[in-house]
Amino acid sequence: MAGFFKIAIRNFLNSPTTDPYPFGETFTPENYRGIIDYTPELCIGCNTCEYVCPSGAIRVREKEDGSGISFSFWLNTCSHCGNCGYYCPTDAVFNSNDFHTARHQSEKFIPTIDDGISYVQCSNCKQKMKRPVEALLARAYEEITEEVRHQTSLCPECRRMKRFERM
Amino acid sequence: MGETYKVPVGPIHIALEEPVYFKVTVHGETVEHVDILSGFVHRGMEALVLRRNFLQNMIITERTCSLCSNNHPFTYIMAVEKIAGVKIPPRAEYLRVIADEVKRAASHLFNVSMLAHLVGFHSLMTQTMETREVLQDVKESIWGNRMDLGANTIGGVKYDLDKEQIRYLIKQLNSIKKPIRELAAIYRDNRIVRARTEGVGVLSKEDTLRLGVVGPTARGSGVNNDIRLIYPYAAYDKLDWDVVLEDGCDVRARALVRLREVFQAINLVEQCLKALPDGPVKTKGFPRIPKGEGVARTEAPRGELFFYVKSDGSSKPERMKWRVPTYLNWEALKVMMPGNKIADISVIFNSIDPCISCTER
Repeated sequence: MAGFFKIAIRNFLNSPTTDPYPFGETFTPENYRGIIDYTPELCIGCNTCEYVCPSGAIRVREKEDGSGISFSFWLNTCSHCGNCGYYCPTDAVFNSNDFHTARHQSEKFIPTIDDGISYVQCSNCKQKMKRPVEALLARAYEEITEEVRHQTSLCPECRRMKRFERM
Repeated sequence: MGETYKVPVGPIHIALEEPVYFKVTVHGETVEHVDILSGFVHRGMEALVLRRNFLQNMIITERTCSLCSNNHPFTYIMAVEKIAGVKIPPRAEYLRVIADEVKRAASHLFNVSMLAHLVGFHSLMTQTMETREVLQDVKESIWGNRMDLGANTIGGVKYDLDKEQIRYLIKQLNSIKKPIRELAAIYRDNRIVRARTEGVGVLSKEDTLRLGVVGPTARGSGVNNDIRLIYPYAAYDKLDWDVVLEDGCDVRARALVRLREVFQAINLVEQCLKALPDGPVKTKGFPRIPKGEGVARTEAPRGELFFYVKSDGSSKPERMKWRVPTYLNWEALKVMMPGNKIADISVIFNSIDPCISCTER
Protein backbone atom coordinates (compact mmCIF):
# COMPACT_ATOMS: atom_id res chain seq x y z
CA MET A 1 0.00 0.00 0.00
CA ALA A 2 2.95 2.31 0.67
CA GLY A 3 3.54 2.72 -3.05
CA PHE A 4 0.18 4.28 -3.60
CA PHE A 5 0.34 6.58 -0.55
CA LYS A 6 3.15 8.49 -2.20
CA ILE A 7 0.95 9.15 -5.25
CA ALA A 8 -2.10 10.00 -3.11
CA ILE A 9 -0.18 12.55 -1.02
CA ARG A 10 1.30 14.12 -4.14
CA ASN A 11 -2.18 14.40 -5.68
CA PHE A 12 -3.49 15.99 -2.49
CA LEU A 13 -0.92 18.78 -2.77
CA ASN A 14 -1.44 19.35 -6.51
CA SER A 15 -4.28 21.37 -8.01
CA PRO A 16 -7.20 19.54 -9.70
CA THR A 17 -6.38 17.98 -13.06
CA THR A 18 -9.83 18.66 -14.56
CA ASP A 19 -10.63 21.81 -16.53
CA PRO A 20 -13.34 24.14 -15.17
CA TYR A 21 -15.25 23.89 -18.48
CA PRO A 22 -17.92 25.28 -19.27
CA PHE A 23 -17.14 28.04 -16.76
CA GLY A 24 -13.56 28.42 -17.92
CA GLU A 25 -11.25 27.57 -20.79
CA THR A 26 -10.59 24.00 -21.86
CA PHE A 27 -7.92 22.30 -23.95
CA THR A 28 -8.89 22.34 -27.63
CA PRO A 29 -6.07 21.36 -29.99
CA GLU A 30 -5.56 23.18 -33.27
CA ASN A 31 -5.85 19.91 -35.25
CA TYR A 32 -9.04 18.69 -33.56
CA ARG A 33 -11.49 17.22 -36.08
CA GLY A 34 -14.61 19.11 -35.11
CA ILE A 35 -17.67 20.30 -37.02
CA ILE A 36 -17.28 20.61 -40.79
CA ASP A 37 -17.10 24.05 -42.34
CA TYR A 38 -17.61 24.97 -45.98
CA THR A 39 -16.23 27.82 -48.09
CA PRO A 40 -18.39 28.22 -51.23
CA GLU A 41 -15.78 30.50 -52.89
CA LEU A 42 -13.36 27.57 -53.11
CA CYS A 43 -15.85 24.86 -54.07
CA ILE A 44 -15.70 23.43 -57.60
CA GLY A 45 -18.72 21.12 -57.21
CA CYS A 46 -16.69 18.01 -57.99
CA ASN A 47 -18.69 15.70 -55.68
CA THR A 48 -15.56 14.16 -54.10
CA CYS A 49 -16.74 14.90 -50.55
CA GLU A 50 -20.00 13.05 -51.12
CA TYR A 51 -18.15 10.12 -52.71
CA VAL A 52 -15.76 9.60 -49.78
CA CYS A 53 -18.21 10.34 -46.92
CA PRO A 54 -18.93 6.96 -45.26
CA SER A 55 -22.00 8.12 -43.34
CA GLY A 56 -23.79 9.94 -46.13
CA ALA A 57 -23.80 13.27 -44.31
CA ILE A 58 -22.99 15.30 -47.43
CA ARG A 59 -25.11 15.74 -50.55
CA VAL A 60 -23.94 17.58 -53.64
CA ARG A 61 -26.60 18.01 -56.33
CA GLU A 62 -27.54 20.32 -59.14
CA LYS A 63 -29.92 22.98 -57.83
CA GLU A 64 -33.55 22.47 -58.77
CA ASP A 65 -33.75 25.71 -60.75
CA GLY A 66 -30.54 24.79 -62.57
CA SER A 67 -28.71 27.87 -61.35
CA GLY A 68 -25.82 26.04 -59.75
CA ILE A 69 -24.74 23.23 -57.47
CA SER A 70 -25.99 22.85 -53.92
CA PHE A 71 -23.99 21.55 -50.97
CA SER A 72 -25.96 20.17 -47.99
CA PHE A 73 -24.49 18.81 -44.78
CA TRP A 74 -26.26 17.06 -41.90
CA LEU A 75 -24.37 17.41 -38.63
CA ASN A 76 -26.31 14.64 -36.90
CA THR A 77 -25.22 12.09 -39.51
CA CYS A 78 -21.56 13.14 -39.53
CA SER A 79 -18.99 10.93 -37.83
CA HIS A 80 -16.21 13.56 -37.88
CA CYS A 81 -13.82 11.27 -39.73
CA GLY A 82 -12.31 14.08 -41.79
CA ASN A 83 -12.35 12.14 -45.08
CA CYS A 84 -14.15 14.96 -46.94
CA GLY A 85 -11.61 17.56 -45.86
CA TYR A 86 -8.70 15.27 -46.63
CA TYR A 87 -9.80 14.50 -50.19
CA CYS A 88 -11.23 17.96 -51.07
CA PRO A 89 -8.97 19.21 -53.90
CA THR A 90 -9.38 22.89 -52.98
CA ASP A 91 -9.90 22.71 -49.18
CA ALA A 92 -13.42 24.10 -49.57
CA VAL A 93 -14.62 21.52 -47.00
CA PHE A 94 -12.58 21.31 -43.82
CA ASN A 95 -12.86 20.35 -40.16
CA SER A 96 -12.96 23.29 -37.77
CA ASN A 97 -11.94 22.64 -34.17
CA ASP A 98 -15.39 23.51 -32.84
CA PHE A 99 -16.78 20.61 -30.79
CA HIS A 100 -20.12 22.15 -29.73
CA THR A 101 -22.53 19.85 -31.49
CA ALA A 102 -25.67 20.39 -29.38
CA ARG A 103 -28.60 21.61 -31.50
CA HIS A 104 -32.34 22.08 -31.02
CA GLN A 105 -34.52 19.03 -31.62
CA SER A 106 -36.28 20.93 -34.43
CA GLU A 107 -32.95 21.13 -36.29
CA LYS A 108 -32.27 17.43 -35.99
CA PHE A 109 -33.16 16.40 -39.52
CA ILE A 110 -32.49 19.57 -41.49
CA PRO A 111 -29.12 20.31 -43.07
CA THR A 112 -26.89 22.45 -40.85
CA ILE A 113 -25.05 23.72 -43.92
CA ASP A 114 -27.22 24.46 -46.95
CA ASP A 115 -25.10 26.38 -49.37
CA GLY A 116 -23.69 25.95 -52.82
CA ILE A 117 -22.17 27.56 -55.85
CA SER A 118 -23.76 29.32 -58.82
CA TYR A 119 -22.95 28.62 -62.44
CA VAL A 120 -21.27 31.32 -64.50
CA GLN A 121 -21.89 32.02 -68.17
CA CYS A 122 -19.45 31.15 -70.91
CA SER A 123 -18.01 34.40 -72.29
CA ASN A 124 -18.62 33.19 -75.82
CA CYS A 125 -21.85 31.16 -76.08
CA LYS A 126 -23.47 32.29 -72.77
CA GLN A 127 -24.04 28.68 -71.75
CA LYS A 128 -24.04 27.88 -68.02
CA MET A 129 -20.90 26.20 -66.66
CA LYS A 130 -18.97 25.54 -63.44
CA ARG A 131 -16.73 28.47 -62.67
CA PRO A 132 -12.96 28.25 -62.51
CA VAL A 133 -11.47 28.28 -59.02
CA GLU A 134 -8.17 30.02 -58.36
CA ALA A 135 -6.87 27.23 -56.05
CA LEU A 136 -7.28 24.59 -58.72
CA LEU A 137 -5.77 26.80 -61.46
CA ALA A 138 -2.73 27.36 -59.28
CA ARG A 139 -2.28 23.59 -59.06
CA ALA A 140 -2.73 23.02 -62.78
CA TYR A 141 -0.62 25.88 -64.17
CA GLU A 142 2.78 27.11 -63.09
CA GLU A 143 1.82 30.66 -64.04
CA ILE A 144 -1.70 31.96 -64.57
CA THR A 145 -1.41 34.14 -67.66
CA GLU A 146 -4.07 36.24 -69.42
CA GLU A 147 -4.33 33.45 -71.99
CA VAL A 148 -5.20 30.94 -69.26
CA ARG A 149 -7.76 33.34 -67.79
CA HIS A 150 -9.40 33.76 -71.14
CA GLN A 151 -9.46 29.99 -71.70
CA THR A 152 -11.11 29.37 -68.33
CA SER A 153 -13.88 31.87 -69.08
CA LEU A 154 -15.04 29.59 -71.89
CA CYS A 155 -17.20 26.50 -71.58
CA PRO A 156 -15.50 23.17 -72.47
CA GLU A 157 -17.19 23.11 -75.88
CA CYS A 158 -16.11 26.65 -76.86
CA ARG A 159 -12.61 25.97 -75.51
CA ARG A 160 -12.29 22.97 -77.78
CA MET A 161 -13.46 24.96 -80.78
CA LYS A 162 -11.02 27.81 -80.03
CA ARG A 163 -8.14 25.40 -79.70
CA PHE A 164 -9.19 23.72 -82.92
CA GLU A 165 -9.20 27.03 -84.77
CA ARG A 166 -5.66 27.75 -83.68
CA MET A 167 -4.28 24.54 -85.11
CA MET B 1 -22.87 -28.40 -0.38
CA GLY B 2 -23.22 -31.27 -2.83
CA GLU B 3 -25.37 -29.31 -5.28
CA THR B 4 -24.44 -27.41 -8.40
CA TYR B 5 -26.17 -24.21 -9.46
CA LYS B 6 -26.39 -22.31 -12.73
CA VAL B 7 -25.59 -18.62 -12.44
CA PRO B 8 -26.15 -16.16 -15.29
CA VAL B 9 -23.43 -13.55 -15.68
CA GLY B 10 -24.14 -10.75 -18.11
CA PRO B 11 -25.06 -9.80 -20.75
CA ILE B 12 -24.51 -6.35 -19.30
CA HIS B 13 -21.75 -5.20 -16.96
CA ILE B 14 -19.19 -7.96 -16.97
CA ALA B 15 -15.89 -6.23 -17.24
CA LEU B 16 -15.92 -3.55 -19.87
CA GLU B 17 -19.63 -2.82 -20.04
CA GLU B 18 -19.79 -4.86 -23.22
CA PRO B 19 -22.52 -7.42 -23.78
CA VAL B 20 -21.64 -11.10 -23.55
CA TYR B 21 -23.54 -13.67 -21.58
CA PHE B 22 -21.98 -16.44 -19.48
CA LYS B 23 -23.93 -19.41 -18.23
CA VAL B 24 -21.80 -20.46 -15.30
CA THR B 25 -22.26 -23.77 -13.50
CA VAL B 26 -21.02 -23.44 -9.93
CA HIS B 27 -20.40 -25.89 -7.18
CA GLY B 28 -20.55 -23.87 -3.99
CA GLU B 29 -18.61 -20.81 -5.02
CA THR B 30 -16.31 -22.57 -7.45
CA VAL B 31 -16.87 -22.41 -11.19
CA GLU B 32 -17.25 -25.81 -12.80
CA HIS B 33 -18.27 -25.07 -16.34
CA VAL B 34 -18.79 -22.01 -18.54
CA ASP B 35 -20.99 -21.52 -21.57
CA ILE B 36 -20.57 -18.36 -23.64
CA LEU B 37 -23.50 -16.81 -25.50
CA SER B 38 -22.82 -13.90 -27.78
CA GLY B 39 -24.34 -11.92 -30.61
CA PHE B 40 -25.78 -8.93 -28.74
CA VAL B 41 -23.92 -6.25 -30.69
CA HIS B 42 -23.94 -7.67 -34.18
CA ARG B 43 -24.07 -4.72 -36.56
CA GLY B 44 -23.64 -6.47 -39.90
CA MET B 45 -20.44 -4.67 -40.76
CA GLU B 46 -19.23 -7.29 -43.24
CA ALA B 47 -22.37 -6.68 -45.31
CA LEU B 48 -22.17 -2.93 -44.77
CA VAL B 49 -18.67 -2.62 -46.21
CA LEU B 50 -19.79 -4.23 -49.48
CA ARG B 51 -22.11 -1.27 -50.05
CA ARG B 52 -19.36 1.31 -49.60
CA ASN B 53 -16.38 2.13 -51.78
CA PHE B 54 -12.74 1.52 -50.81
CA LEU B 55 -12.26 5.04 -49.46
CA GLN B 56 -15.39 4.98 -47.30
CA ASN B 57 -14.38 1.58 -45.91
CA MET B 58 -11.23 3.07 -44.40
CA ILE B 59 -13.56 4.85 -41.98
CA ILE B 60 -16.13 2.06 -41.53
CA THR B 61 -13.45 -0.46 -40.51
CA GLU B 62 -12.08 2.10 -38.08
CA ARG B 63 -15.48 2.27 -36.37
CA THR B 64 -15.47 -1.49 -35.68
CA CYS B 65 -14.00 -0.90 -32.26
CA SER B 66 -12.56 2.12 -30.55
CA LEU B 67 -9.60 0.65 -28.66
CA CYS B 68 -7.97 -1.03 -31.66
CA SER B 69 -9.44 1.50 -34.08
CA ASN B 70 -6.09 2.10 -35.75
CA ASN B 71 -5.40 -1.55 -36.52
CA HIS B 72 -8.62 -2.28 -38.39
CA PRO B 73 -8.15 0.31 -41.19
CA PHE B 74 -4.39 -0.35 -41.08
CA THR B 75 -4.83 -4.06 -41.85
CA TYR B 76 -7.61 -3.43 -44.37
CA ILE B 77 -5.44 -0.87 -46.18
CA MET B 78 -2.48 -3.27 -46.20
CA ALA B 79 -4.69 -5.91 -47.85
CA VAL B 80 -5.97 -3.41 -50.44
CA GLU B 81 -2.43 -2.21 -51.12
CA LYS B 82 -1.41 -5.81 -51.81
CA ILE B 83 -4.19 -6.10 -54.41
CA ALA B 84 -3.23 -2.80 -56.02
CA GLY B 85 0.51 -3.53 -55.79
CA VAL B 86 1.22 -0.24 -54.04
CA LYS B 87 4.53 0.27 -52.25
CA ILE B 88 4.28 3.00 -49.65
CA PRO B 89 7.06 5.58 -49.12
CA PRO B 90 9.53 4.82 -46.25
CA ARG B 91 8.43 7.84 -44.22
CA ALA B 92 4.85 6.55 -44.26
CA GLU B 93 6.02 3.18 -42.90
CA TYR B 94 7.53 4.85 -39.85
CA LEU B 95 4.53 7.13 -39.36
CA ARG B 96 2.24 4.09 -39.43
CA VAL B 97 4.26 2.49 -36.63
CA ILE B 98 4.11 5.68 -34.56
CA ALA B 99 0.31 5.88 -34.78
CA ASP B 100 -0.01 2.18 -34.03
CA GLU B 101 2.25 2.16 -31.00
CA VAL B 102 0.67 5.23 -29.42
CA LYS B 103 -2.70 3.49 -29.74
CA ARG B 104 -1.26 0.26 -28.31
CA ALA B 105 0.14 2.04 -25.25
CA ALA B 106 -3.20 3.74 -24.59
CA SER B 107 -5.13 0.49 -25.08
CA HIS B 108 -2.93 -1.51 -22.70
CA LEU B 109 -3.14 1.21 -20.03
CA PHE B 110 -6.92 1.10 -20.35
CA ASN B 111 -6.95 -2.65 -19.83
CA VAL B 112 -4.72 -2.65 -16.75
CA SER B 113 -6.74 0.20 -15.26
CA MET B 114 -9.86 -1.94 -15.76
CA LEU B 115 -8.06 -4.72 -13.90
CA ALA B 116 -7.52 -2.36 -10.97
CA HIS B 117 -11.20 -1.42 -11.13
CA LEU B 118 -12.27 -5.08 -11.01
CA VAL B 119 -10.06 -6.01 -8.08
CA GLY B 120 -11.58 -3.07 -6.22
CA PHE B 121 -8.54 -0.80 -6.17
CA HIS B 122 -10.25 2.27 -7.57
CA SER B 123 -7.59 4.84 -6.77
CA LEU B 124 -5.14 2.84 -8.87
CA MET B 125 -7.67 2.74 -11.68
CA THR B 126 -8.21 6.51 -11.71
CA GLN B 127 -4.47 7.10 -11.52
CA THR B 128 -3.81 4.81 -14.50
CA MET B 129 -6.58 6.50 -16.47
CA GLU B 130 -5.13 9.88 -15.53
CA THR B 131 -1.75 8.83 -16.93
CA ARG B 132 -3.42 7.51 -20.05
CA GLU B 133 -5.07 10.90 -20.51
CA VAL B 134 -1.68 12.28 -21.58
CA LEU B 135 -1.70 9.85 -24.49
CA GLN B 136 -5.29 10.83 -25.30
CA ASP B 137 -4.18 14.47 -25.47
CA VAL B 138 -1.32 13.46 -27.76
CA LYS B 139 -3.74 11.68 -30.09
CA GLU B 140 -6.13 14.63 -30.06
CA SER B 141 -3.37 17.14 -30.76
CA ILE B 142 -1.64 15.25 -33.56
CA TRP B 143 -4.37 13.20 -35.24
CA GLY B 144 -7.45 15.19 -34.24
CA ASN B 145 -9.44 12.66 -32.26
CA ARG B 146 -9.07 10.88 -28.93
CA MET B 147 -9.82 7.41 -30.33
CA ASP B 148 -10.28 7.33 -34.10
CA LEU B 149 -6.99 8.57 -35.44
CA GLY B 150 -7.70 8.24 -39.15
CA ALA B 151 -3.95 7.96 -39.61
CA ASN B 152 -3.78 5.61 -42.58
CA THR B 153 -4.90 5.94 -46.15
CA ILE B 154 -4.44 3.73 -49.22
CA GLY B 155 -0.88 4.46 -50.34
CA GLY B 156 0.48 6.04 -47.17
CA VAL B 157 -0.66 8.08 -44.21
CA LYS B 158 -2.93 11.10 -43.88
CA TYR B 159 -0.77 13.06 -41.45
CA ASP B 160 2.77 14.33 -41.29
CA LEU B 161 4.87 15.31 -38.29
CA ASP B 162 6.71 18.62 -38.31
CA LYS B 163 9.57 19.52 -35.95
CA GLU B 164 7.28 21.07 -33.36
CA GLN B 165 4.96 18.07 -33.25
CA ILE B 166 7.93 15.71 -32.84
CA ARG B 167 9.18 17.84 -29.94
CA TYR B 168 5.70 17.78 -28.38
CA LEU B 169 5.39 14.01 -28.82
CA ILE B 170 8.79 13.34 -27.21
CA LYS B 171 8.02 15.69 -24.34
CA GLN B 172 4.66 14.06 -23.59
CA LEU B 173 6.07 10.53 -23.83
CA ASN B 174 8.89 11.43 -21.45
CA SER B 175 6.41 12.93 -19.01
CA ILE B 176 4.49 9.64 -18.60
CA LYS B 177 7.50 7.33 -18.20
CA LYS B 178 7.94 8.00 -14.49
CA PRO B 179 4.23 7.74 -13.55
CA ILE B 180 3.89 4.47 -15.47
CA ARG B 181 7.00 3.06 -13.77
CA GLU B 182 5.45 3.93 -10.40
CA LEU B 183 2.11 2.36 -11.36
CA ALA B 184 3.75 -0.75 -12.80
CA ALA B 185 5.52 -1.28 -9.48
CA ILE B 186 2.15 -1.16 -7.70
CA TYR B 187 0.61 -3.65 -10.15
CA ARG B 188 3.61 -5.91 -9.64
CA ASP B 189 4.07 -5.70 -5.87
CA ASN B 190 0.88 -4.48 -4.22
CA ARG B 191 -0.57 -7.02 -1.81
CA ILE B 192 -4.21 -6.57 -2.86
CA VAL B 193 -3.52 -6.70 -6.58
CA ARG B 194 -1.33 -9.78 -6.17
CA ALA B 195 -3.90 -11.58 -4.03
CA ARG B 196 -6.57 -11.11 -6.70
CA THR B 197 -4.44 -11.87 -9.76
CA GLU B 198 -1.75 -14.40 -8.86
CA GLY B 199 -2.67 -17.97 -9.75
CA VAL B 200 -6.06 -16.82 -11.05
CA GLY B 201 -7.26 -17.85 -14.51
CA VAL B 202 -4.36 -20.15 -15.28
CA LEU B 203 -3.87 -21.02 -18.95
CA SER B 204 -1.03 -23.46 -19.46
CA LYS B 205 1.36 -23.22 -22.39
CA GLU B 206 -0.05 -26.44 -23.88
CA ASP B 207 -3.61 -25.10 -23.78
CA THR B 208 -2.44 -21.80 -25.27
CA LEU B 209 -0.97 -23.62 -28.25
CA ARG B 210 -3.92 -26.00 -28.54
CA LEU B 211 -6.51 -23.20 -28.59
CA GLY B 212 -4.46 -20.90 -30.81
CA VAL B 213 -4.61 -18.04 -28.34
CA VAL B 214 -3.08 -14.79 -29.60
CA GLY B 215 -1.66 -11.52 -28.34
CA PRO B 216 -0.70 -10.60 -24.78
CA THR B 217 -2.92 -13.42 -23.50
CA ALA B 218 -0.59 -15.95 -25.18
CA ARG B 219 2.55 -14.01 -24.34
CA GLY B 220 1.56 -14.17 -20.66
CA SER B 221 1.84 -17.95 -21.02
CA GLY B 222 5.25 -17.76 -22.67
CA VAL B 223 4.09 -18.30 -26.25
CA ASN B 224 5.72 -15.94 -28.71
CA ASN B 225 3.31 -15.25 -31.54
CA ASP B 226 3.90 -11.55 -32.13
CA ILE B 227 3.06 -10.84 -35.79
CA ARG B 228 5.29 -7.77 -35.67
CA LEU B 229 8.26 -10.11 -35.28
CA ILE B 230 7.36 -13.28 -37.14
CA TYR B 231 5.72 -11.58 -40.11
CA PRO B 232 7.05 -8.01 -40.08
CA TYR B 233 5.09 -5.21 -41.71
CA ALA B 234 5.51 -1.41 -41.93
CA ALA B 235 8.85 -0.51 -40.31
CA TYR B 236 8.96 -3.13 -37.56
CA ASP B 237 11.83 -5.07 -39.14
CA LYS B 238 13.97 -1.92 -39.17
CA LEU B 239 13.56 -1.28 -35.45
CA ASP B 240 15.44 -2.79 -32.54
CA TRP B 241 13.04 -4.50 -30.15
CA ASP B 242 12.27 -7.77 -28.40
CA VAL B 243 9.02 -9.57 -27.74
CA VAL B 244 7.73 -9.27 -24.17
CA LEU B 245 7.17 -12.69 -22.62
CA GLU B 246 6.07 -13.74 -19.15
CA ASP B 247 5.69 -17.31 -17.91
CA GLY B 248 3.24 -16.86 -15.03
CA CYS B 249 0.32 -18.13 -17.17
CA ASP B 250 -2.14 -16.23 -14.91
CA VAL B 251 -4.00 -12.91 -14.88
CA ARG B 252 -1.00 -11.20 -13.29
CA ALA B 253 1.38 -12.35 -16.04
CA ARG B 254 -0.95 -10.97 -18.72
CA ALA B 255 -1.18 -7.61 -16.93
CA LEU B 256 2.62 -7.49 -16.63
CA VAL B 257 3.01 -8.26 -20.35
CA ARG B 258 0.73 -5.32 -21.12
CA LEU B 259 2.55 -2.97 -18.76
CA ARG B 260 5.92 -3.92 -20.24
CA GLU B 261 4.51 -3.48 -23.75
CA VAL B 262 3.55 0.09 -22.84
CA PHE B 263 7.24 0.83 -22.25
CA GLN B 264 8.11 -1.05 -25.40
CA ALA B 265 5.58 1.02 -27.38
CA ILE B 266 7.05 4.26 -26.06
CA ASN B 267 10.53 2.99 -26.95
CA LEU B 268 9.40 2.06 -30.48
CA VAL B 269 7.86 5.51 -31.04
CA GLU B 270 11.09 7.14 -29.89
CA GLN B 271 13.13 4.93 -32.22
CA CYS B 272 10.82 5.81 -35.12
CA LEU B 273 11.08 9.53 -34.41
CA LYS B 274 14.88 9.27 -34.39
CA ALA B 275 15.07 7.27 -37.62
CA LEU B 276 12.24 9.10 -39.43
CA PRO B 277 13.34 9.42 -43.08
CA ASP B 278 12.47 12.44 -45.21
CA GLY B 279 10.23 12.28 -48.22
CA PRO B 280 6.57 12.06 -49.16
CA VAL B 281 4.02 10.47 -46.82
CA LYS B 282 1.78 9.15 -49.56
CA THR B 283 2.02 7.83 -53.10
CA LYS B 284 0.72 10.28 -55.71
CA GLY B 285 -2.90 10.14 -56.75
CA PHE B 286 -5.32 7.38 -55.92
CA PRO B 287 -4.45 3.84 -57.09
CA ARG B 288 -6.97 1.86 -59.10
CA ILE B 289 -7.89 -1.33 -57.29
CA PRO B 290 -7.78 -4.13 -59.87
CA LYS B 291 -9.52 -7.47 -59.67
CA GLY B 292 -7.88 -9.67 -57.10
CA GLU B 293 -7.66 -10.95 -53.55
CA GLY B 294 -5.46 -9.87 -50.68
CA VAL B 295 -4.85 -10.80 -47.08
CA ALA B 296 -2.99 -8.94 -44.36
CA ARG B 297 -2.08 -9.59 -40.75
CA THR B 298 -1.09 -7.17 -38.03
CA GLU B 299 -0.58 -7.30 -34.30
CA ALA B 300 -3.47 -5.37 -32.74
CA PRO B 301 -3.27 -4.54 -29.00
CA ARG B 302 -5.34 -7.70 -28.36
CA GLY B 303 -3.48 -10.02 -30.73
CA GLU B 304 -3.39 -11.05 -34.33
CA LEU B 305 -5.83 -9.26 -36.63
CA PHE B 306 -6.49 -10.75 -40.04
CA PHE B 307 -8.17 -9.19 -43.06
CA TYR B 308 -9.27 -10.73 -46.34
CA VAL B 309 -10.37 -8.44 -49.16
CA LYS B 310 -11.64 -9.52 -52.57
CA SER B 311 -12.08 -6.98 -55.31
CA ASP B 312 -13.85 -7.39 -58.65
CA GLY B 313 -12.26 -4.32 -60.20
CA SER B 314 -15.10 -1.95 -59.31
CA SER B 315 -14.99 0.81 -56.70
CA LYS B 316 -16.44 -1.45 -54.02
CA PRO B 317 -15.05 -4.66 -52.49
CA GLU B 318 -16.74 -7.89 -53.54
CA ARG B 319 -16.12 -9.62 -50.20
CA MET B 320 -14.44 -8.64 -46.99
CA LYS B 321 -13.80 -10.78 -43.97
CA TRP B 322 -11.89 -10.04 -40.84
CA ARG B 323 -10.94 -12.24 -37.92
CA VAL B 324 -10.31 -10.48 -34.66
CA PRO B 325 -8.13 -11.62 -31.73
CA THR B 326 -10.93 -11.90 -29.16
CA TYR B 327 -12.61 -14.61 -31.24
CA LEU B 328 -9.68 -16.93 -30.53
CA ASN B 329 -9.09 -15.75 -26.99
CA TRP B 330 -12.56 -16.20 -25.56
CA GLU B 331 -12.45 -19.95 -26.24
CA ALA B 332 -9.63 -20.00 -23.70
CA LEU B 333 -12.03 -18.66 -21.05
CA LYS B 334 -13.57 -22.13 -20.84
CA VAL B 335 -10.17 -23.40 -19.73
CA MET B 336 -9.28 -20.42 -17.54
CA MET B 337 -12.46 -20.08 -15.51
CA PRO B 338 -13.21 -23.56 -14.07
CA GLY B 339 -11.70 -23.97 -10.62
CA ASN B 340 -11.85 -20.26 -9.80
CA LYS B 341 -14.34 -18.36 -7.62
CA ILE B 342 -17.39 -16.52 -8.99
CA ALA B 343 -15.84 -13.20 -7.97
CA ASP B 344 -12.89 -13.89 -10.26
CA ILE B 345 -14.99 -14.29 -13.42
CA SER B 346 -14.84 -10.62 -14.36
CA VAL B 347 -11.13 -10.40 -13.56
CA ILE B 348 -10.39 -13.41 -15.78
CA PHE B 349 -12.66 -12.11 -18.51
CA ASN B 350 -10.87 -8.77 -18.45
CA SER B 351 -7.48 -10.48 -18.66
CA ILE B 352 -8.04 -11.52 -22.29
CA ASP B 353 -8.74 -7.83 -23.04
CA PRO B 354 -12.09 -8.70 -24.63
CA CYS B 355 -13.50 -6.65 -27.44
CA ILE B 356 -17.02 -7.85 -28.12
CA SER B 357 -17.89 -5.15 -30.64
CA CYS B 358 -14.91 -6.30 -32.76
CA THR B 359 -15.83 -9.94 -32.51
CA GLU B 360 -19.50 -9.60 -33.34
CA ARG B 361 -19.09 -6.70 -35.78
